[in-house]
Amino acid sequence: MTDRRRINGPSGGTSAPIFSKYLAKTPNELLERPTRSRPNNALRKMFLKTGVTPSASGSAYLELEASKNPKSTAPGLSSPSTSGLKLTCTVHGPRPLPKSAPFSPHIILTTHVKYAPFATRKRRGYLRDSSERDLGVHLETALRGVIIGDRWPKSGVEIIITILEGEEDQWWGDGIGHGNTAAAEWGMMSVLSGCITVASAAIADAGIDCVDVVAGGVAAVVKGSAKGPSPNLVLDPVPSEHKEIIAACIVGYLPSRDEITDLWVKGDIGHGNQNEDTAQSASYEELADSAVQAALGSHRVLIAALKETADVKIGRS
Amino acid sequence: MAPSSALQQVLLSPAELSYLHTSLASTPPIRPDGRTSRQFRPLIAESNILPGTNGSARICFDDGTEAIVGAKAEVEKSRPVFAAREEEGEGEEMAEGQGEGGERGRNEWVDISVEIPGMRDDDSMPVFLSALLSEALLADGGFTRKLWINRRFHWKLYIDILLLSQPLSYPLPLLSLTTHLALLATRLPRLKSEKDEDPMFDDDWEASVFLFPQSQTAKPPATLLVMAVSSNIIFDPSKEELAVAEVVLAVSISSSPSSFTPESEMDVGERKGGSLKLLAVRTIDPPSRLTHPGVPNVVNTATGGTATDNMEMAMAREEGVWKSPRGGAKRKLIAEMIRKVLEKGGVGEEVLDGLEAVGLE
Repeated sequence: MTDRRRINGPSGGTSAPIFSKYLAKTPNELLERPTRSRPNNALRKMFLKTGVTPSASGSAYLELEASKNPKSTAPGLSSPSTSGLKLTCTVHGPRPLPKSAPFSPHIILTTHVKYAPFATRKRRGYLRDSSERDLGVHLETALRGVIIGDRWPKSGVEIIITILEGEEDQWWGDGIGHGNTAAAEWGMMSVLSGCITVASAAIADAGIDCVDVVAGGVAAVVKGSAKGPSPNLVLDPVPSEHKEIIAACIVGYLPSRDEITDLWVKGDIGHGNQNEDTAQSASYEELADSAVQAALGSHRVLIAALKETADVKIGRS
Repeated sequence: MAPSSALQQVLLSPAELSYLHTSLASTPPIRPDGRTSRQFRPLIAESNILPGTNGSARICFDDGTEAIVGAKAEVEKSRPVFAAREEEGEGEEMAEGQGEGGERGRNEWVDISVEIPGMRDDDSMPVFLSALLSEALLADGGFTRKLWINRRFHWKLYIDILLLSQPLSYPLPLLSLTTHLALLATRLPRLKSEKDEDPMFDDDWEASVFLFPQSQTAKPPATLLVMAVSSNIIFDPSKEELAVAEVVLAVSISSSPSSFTPESEMDVGERKGGSLKLLAVRTIDPPSRLTHPGVPNVVNTATGGTATDNMEMAMAREEGVWKSPRGGAKRKLIAEMIRKVLEKGGVGEEVLDGLEAVGLE
């Protein structure tokens, strides 16, 4: 399926020629990889606001702080190595299904996740590609367990998320240098976690009954720096800040029930049956527990944002 | 606007669902087809069935679902890499790492396509399945490294997965096992040229080399479907069992190269593959969330009850009345499911060993 209605640029993108005189020869000319300045167990600052789209029945906006290069003097905005996350979510419905649709005893949940064409370094097309569909399926899994669906028979709800600024899968400098090009799509994990949190806020804003608000959290095992060679467990990883991510885990977590609705782990995870190898890389359980810690962090922001909206609403009426 | 898992919808009444749930939740679980909780469905498997491919396999489950996988490899020019940069202080490390680091593969060298009859290629199910299968394959980067020829050329591997029958049950285990088998049987022509020359291959197919040599412990990944009903963990669920599942997980595993600890040397005799390694886990939306709930007699006006507007009453669970599961899965339960797959002598080892036996024939 290609987009034939618009005149699009080349799909793969072309790589501009790099002349050898521009390749850095001395180390201090090299571009600086952004480094993680937060402690391993701290999350990025999160901004969450509900009710940003008046025409939708519920909406929310989420933004994660962009990582700053410690040495850069530029005011950050268009500096080439920033990567934040900006998501906007709208919820339409619950509204009745069309007459032609078959009977459904539950609410029919449709999720739609789309990167804006300008959201990533490489341009995205207008049609959803497979990774966007995959995000949609994950989001649906995370939300379906939370919504009390049988209170709305014969109706449907659409959850639409637009990613205005996506997380990068690797540091952009790696792409032109000796690339660790095996970079898996690590950015997708943070994006999904943001999607879960923002969708949860928008659903609450739309007033759809849920068993709890679900929050997303990511944790990753990253290869240590030259000083400390053992792998580290970090919460809320920014892929561009780490040379190599070994494994990552994202959960959709319900704090009041201590339950997980969506779990996605991938990478080189330590041996499940514990032997001496555990020092080499963290086991699944450690990884999942850290992801839950991250989810608890975003849950706190989520609750605060919802309270704020509720206060405004009550104050007005 | 049909629900994405409409395909999974089983036509069972709430009473039947409740019966099935109760029997699966009892200890030990009673499965409709009489299997034990960790028993797989019987299957027919064969490999190397398509002469036009580098490796192929076919697996047929006893419920009539059948899949064919063909792997084809092409030589492709690699994108240039500018290796002029070397970071300070890491110079030595980079130089010695060059031999191995140079052989880094790229994820784009593997192309997986899944075809399921009656579904468009952009439906969520094939997209989800191909994402799941490729992430297991690419998880540790060891697989793409095998496709490296030299600095300028690499193999591009196309893995085409075809479900031949109607998707009667959730096709994930079938497709994954067939892919595993096809990759075990995949052979590439032997390289005759050296280093960075244009690649030249031995045209004798007999001399070709296996992508996964039998002497090595590295094996392609396999993805298993595990579900849980209350605290019972059930492997390889059928379609009816999935309709009452509370948690469904897809767990990708592969055998990791055995480490040379005294402990692992001891059990070399019983299993040469080393211990199992977890590659990926995903929760799958259980189709049970879309089933029709039952109505208890007390609130059913048709049976002499009175309709209630009391939320508590409407939410209450009554024994024998089916209510679709709500909420997620307990953390402990998920960890236990994963542990059951990975444990020594567990289901994961059994499956990998069984498939290896097919490849050897």
